[in-house]
Amino acid sequence: MKITEEIKISDNGFVFNSKTGDSFNLNPLGLELIKQIANDKDFDIIRSEMLEKYDIDDLTFEKDFYEFCALLKHHQITLQDDPLNFV
Amino acid sequence: MAKQKITLAVTGLNNTDNPGPGVPVIRGAKESEDFDVRVIGLVYENLEPGIYMEDLCDRIFQIPYPSSGSDELIERIEQIHQQEKIDVLIPNFDAELFSFMKNEQRLLDKEIHTFLPSLKQFQERDKDKLAEYGKKYGVKVPGSINLGTINQISDLEDKFDYPVMIKGQFYDAYEAGNEEQVKQAFYKISAKWGFPVIAQEFVKGTEVNVIALGDGKGNTIAAVPMRKQYITDKGKAWGGITLADEKMMELTRMLIQKTKWKGGMELELIKTNSGEYYLIEINPRIPAWVYLAVGAGQNIPDALIKLALGWDVKPMTKYKIGKMFVRYSFDMIVDLEKFAAISMNKEI
Repeated sequence: MKITEEIKISDNGFVFNSKTGDSFNLNPLGLELIKQIANDKDFDIIRSEMLEKYDIDDLTFEKDFYEFCALLKHHQITLQDDPLNFV
Repeated sequence: MAKQKITLAVTGLNNTDNPGPGVPVIRGAKESEDFDVRVIGLVYENLEPGIYMEDLCDRIFQIPYPSSGSDELIERIEQIHQQEKIDVLIPNFDAELFSFMKNEQRLLDKEIHTFLPSLKQFQERDKDKLAEYGKKYGVKVPGSINLGTINQISDLEDKFDYPVMIKGQFYDAYEAGNEEQVKQAFYKISAKWGFPVIAQEFVKGTEVNVIALGDGKGNTIAAVPMRKQYITDKGKAWGGITLADEKMMELTRMLIQKTKWKGGMELELIKTNSGEYYLIEINPRIPAWVYLAVGAGQNIPDALIKLALGWDVKPMTKYKIGKMFVRYSFDMIVDLEKFAAISMNKEI
């Protein structure tokens, strides 16, 4: 999953899609996740870091993460060739 | 280098909730690095806000509506020219363009320079000819029917599903969700703008726009794409943002190259969810949001003045992405003398 090059992410969580003109506000956790994705981190690495850092179980994190990824794709923030390949 | 002094005449000072482009055109011209601009405001109504804005126009003249006849309008311009020696004239209303285009040479003989599309360019992009235009230049356009009578609604229903857009030749557009709404829009528009009334297929997507300037030889001198972020109930942009959309730019360059468009223009497009672009309208003049282009780095009014005066203008290819404009309303306190002067003397 790749963040498209038109996407600009500010440190305060403001995300701007320069191709569509859409903008979004991310909460601190969303910002942390999108930065990990932008840095091309593997899902397993993101998961292990998050599980270590936050009080969350494996299954809940995975579900929330996929939901977040689907949202990013829906808003054309990420490119995804294979719909079954979330990460 | 000293700036060249010029006198610029501009119409469209109606900065209302349906704003004309005059005021932002003047703002752009005044920011020119090459011209020291003296501004002559040309107004139709005595309450156009541009008349009363401080430091905007040096002189104001009232001119007759084009509907009272081209000759009357041009004679008034010539009369003003005798007093003020206009170098460049930028008309900003669709409805007046025809008169100025038709009299381009007459004005030029008096050394009043304009930079307008040819009559052919102007007429082939008429809303009621959009389907042929799309075919000729290879652009996707929504299907449309030109309605001359209300009886044609059944043709419309055979061809399109509701909702449909009902549009006037020059201005006004209504979304109609059923036969009754089509009738209402048809009567409203035909009473105001005449026939044909255009029924257009509704294309679902996001409206995006490009402001552009063609040099008449096929070159795109300026182009900035924008998305409206806040739209008034009249469908006017009250806020917008510049985009990084190469497809829109390509489409603009292609159209200007093929049509050899001369002058300012605005392309109104619908971008569908699948990323296709439908051309819904071409406005044959600078749009009211032109100052966004100036703010993003392309001073289109300045470039248009240079082209009108025969300067060699290089294409501007860069602009700032993510620049926004936010419009606002503002109450000016005005002395009665100014209103009286424009009402009685037709000039200030």
